[in-house]
Amino acid sequence: MPIGLLVDSLTTTILVGSLYALMAVGLTLTMAVIKLPNFAHAELITVGAFAALIVSLRLTGNPVAVLAIAFAVAALVALLTHWIVYRPLGKQKSSTYILILASFAVGLIIRYLLFLLADTFNLFDKRIQVAQEVWVQAGPLTLTNIFFWVVPTSIGLVGALSLLLNFTSLGRQMRALADNATLAKVVGVPAGHVINITWILAGGLAGVGGALWGIYTFVDPMVGWLAILSVFAAVVLGGLTSFPGTILGAFVVAFAENTLMQALNYWVGLDFSFKPAIPFVIIILVLLIRPQGLTGLFAGRRRNAGLER
Amino acid sequence: MNIDLVATAIALLTVFGIASIIALSLNLEYGLGGIPNFGQALFVAIGAYTAGVTYTRLLPLLAGQAALDPCGATNMAPALALRTGILKTMPAVALGNFALTLVIAGVIGGLIGLVASYPALRLKEEWFLGLVLLVGSESVRIFVRGYEPIICAHNGLSGLSQPFAWLPTAQIRSLAFLGLVLVAAGLCYWYSERLARSPYGRLLKALRENNAVASGLGKEMSRVRGQVMVIGSAMAAIAGVFFVVNVGFASANDYGVALTLDIWVMIVLGGLGNMRGALLGALIVTLLDRFTSIAAIQLNMLHIDIEFNYVRYILFGVILLVMLRYRPQGLWREPVETTGVGAGEPMRAEPRV
Amino acid sequence: MLEVIKVHKAFDRLLAVDGVSLRVPKGQIVGLIGPNGSGKSTLLSTIAGQHKPDDGQIRLDGQEIGGLPPEQIFRRGLARSYQDPSLFFRMSALDNALLPAKDQRGEQPLVAPLHRLWWPQEKALAQRATSILDDLHLLPQRGKPAADLSGGQMKLLELGRTTMGAPQVMLLDEPTAGVAPALAYTIFEEIERLRRTQQITFLIVEHRLEILFDFVDWIYVMHMGQVIAEGNPATIAADRLVREVYFGE
Repeated sequence: MPIGLLVDSLTTTILVGSLYALMAVGLTLTMAVIKLPNFAHAELITVGAFAALIVSLRLTGNPVAVLAIAFAVAALVALLTHWIVYRPLGKQKSSTYILILASFAVGLIIRYLLFLLADTFNLFDKRIQVAQEVWVQAGPLTLTNIFFWVVPTSIGLVGALSLLLNFTSLGRQMRALADNATLAKVVGVPAGHVINITWILAGGLAGVGGALWGIYTFVDPMVGWLAILSVFAAVVLGGLTSFPGTILGAFVVAFAENTLMQALNYWVGLDFSFKPAIPFVIIILVLLIRPQGLTGLFAGRRRNAGLER
Repeated sequence: MNIDLVATAIALLTVFGIASIIALSLNLEYGLGGIPNFGQALFVAIGAYTAGVTYTRLLPLLAGQAALDPCGATNMAPALALRTGILKTMPAVALGNFALTLVIAGVIGGLIGLVASYPALRLKEEWFLGLVLLVGSESVRIFVRGYEPIICAHNGLSGLSQPFAWLPTAQIRSLAFLGLVLVAAGLCYWYSERLARSPYGRLLKALRENNAVASGLGKEMSRVRGQVMVIGSAMAAIAGVFFVVNVGFASANDYGVALTLDIWVMIVLGGLGNMRGALLGALIVTLLDRFTSIAAIQLNMLHIDIEFNYVRYILFGVILLVMLRYRPQGLWREPVETTGVGAGEPMRAEPRV
Repeated sequence: MLEVIKVHKAFDRLLAVDGVSLRVPKGQIVGLIGPNGSGKSTLLSTIAGQHKPDDGQIRLDGQEIGGLPPEQIFRRGLARSYQDPSLFFRMSALDNALLPAKDQRGEQPLVAPLHRLWWPQEKALAQRATSILDDLHLLPQRGKPAADLSGGQMKLLELGRTTMGAPQVMLLDEPTAGVAPALAYTIFEEIERLRRTQQITFLIVEHRLEILFDFVDWIYVMHMGQVIAEGNPATIAADRLVREVYFGE
């Protein structure tokens, strides 16, 4: 395979992988701490993308502002869905299936509200205002400014979350809830408060991920949904609740979708239209070969469903 | 306003009949069996794609003519003319092809449903199967949209008309097709209801509630799970054939999450585990859907700019949430007694030893 | 007769069942006691097929059943009850009783829609099930969901419905857990009645020693995965090792 293609696909892998990681950790957080498989996570991503779009069009192009507002808006939406939908259902002792169905409905509502928004304010076919410039050119290696925004921001945020989980008392409380919610409440962990913060973090990170994704690709009400399949695959690779597993999984998925796909296309002639099948194939392989995903490769002997560090 | 009432009624009943079959299929799988199938759209799609293949490859063969490649700018028109011509002039071929399509779709759908039930055995969490089916359904949709050989990628396939195109007038054609749909729906309802009210229904309820305990009581629950997935998937695929020929056009985007959600709204609204409830849910959803599209057209004509179709989805989402919060068992509750053998006169108990 | 021969079962590092051997002769009621965590429940679960034994044999009437899946073990005649209520709460009491019956024709998806093919059998089974419910004084609740029953009624129903499968041996895991003493006695009287009328053999894990000792023929004592003593109730009550393990004397 020509070195140019290889290097390009690898840079794409790193960029997309870091984005998937950012989008996936929020979902892992929700599943581990709140035990809710949130099928509306895709829409939190889209909300972030739209917030970034509107801010960049009407307010300012300052990247920090754009990302911060994307975080805030998505976090707020996440918190609202918790208060309006999931918390009342949780009080009714609804089964996981009911919560999943509810999250589907929530996602649908948000998605079509965004469609209405885009339709009313004519936001279709608009891009977040960022001019692409090449910042590094060394032989076959081409890196744009977008690469240097997306990758450090994503990795930085994921790293910050990791620090929070491991070295703060809040993080300890979140892990306690993930390990054993009943016991955690008995020893005084303020579950309601911690859960609110979890939603803020999950939503906010997804929102920033959406904003960055919007900068990298485009903004459309379906944008979160298009990325979510790969995000699901990353989370499944992470065994649903392992933080480092999810991050590694994100890069594995990105690698498969880019470098591996490129290689298969070049050597075997596999058509690029097979790319959407990759997340699905990964999930099936995980199921068949190692259902617990990549958990257990890190924390040694921890065997419970807690949030692995 | 100029609405042809008879034509509208026929069209509505046809959609209702098709929706009923799909609702019944999911009600068997989840309402009774507790299997969270978040990818039912995939099985409906299988029916549609099967029809796409049979109408382009099998139909000409049955008519004694050579099949033409249906995709590509130059091929589309002649291939379309070919199948439209056959469907208009050769009744036996049209009906024969349709019957074969139904059978093939049922078999393929059933097989894939069977395969889908296996992962459940190794899963960490039970809802995970739902995720796998959802991802599978969306992956197939995106894949078929991009990969030409099945239904000409994003162009889609037209000319997949219902098997009565050879009848003289439009109204007779639609009536004949409605008759066929109602027969199929009636059969599916009869089968589902009878299944639900039998010892097999007990097994499904046990699968739903506590499949490990049921195993401990001697029942082969993995076989039951496989069976209900086969039955439900085959039913959904058969409904998919009716669905696509009713529209006349196959497009991958018709079989996305929105369709899966519609089906869930039907059974949650109508009543989980109650087959009549599934019909009720299908009816309400069909009517609501038609009402909102009429409203959308009317509003458009009045130059009101809101795209009402978006509102339709929001409305359905809200309905689902309201039901889940305030009446999760649905409008028509599942009967507690399964076979009804305990109803009526209290039986004489055998003398106590 | 149920024979357990040197069975081992470990989970990761934890050896829950460490070389346990015991015999339950036909028609007897045998007790299995021991402090919490001694491996009694794991042993029952392993015999019932929920876990595969790592080593050793489990024989029912001379036939090896170790490692078979639970549904096959039930069909060979060995049934179990659970510590936590394990009824199908959304089903009626009668349906709960009808489910375990073996060889129901209506359980085939191609036969089920054809009412006439299975209705006579269903009626006959319902007659038996109704008698069972009547014996347990549950007849008025037969059409109501099992969730509506009281805790004690649930325990009785669990006992009763298992007998619809005509088991020869029943493993009971704390059948009187959480139940008032008077009702606990009733449950054991029911067990005794089943032994007498249907010749069912019982292996019972139980903590209420005062009631258990009145009903059992033989007792095994487990501690840390091993059998440390066996004998009739009087012997066990006097055994010093048992008193040490239970009361720390």
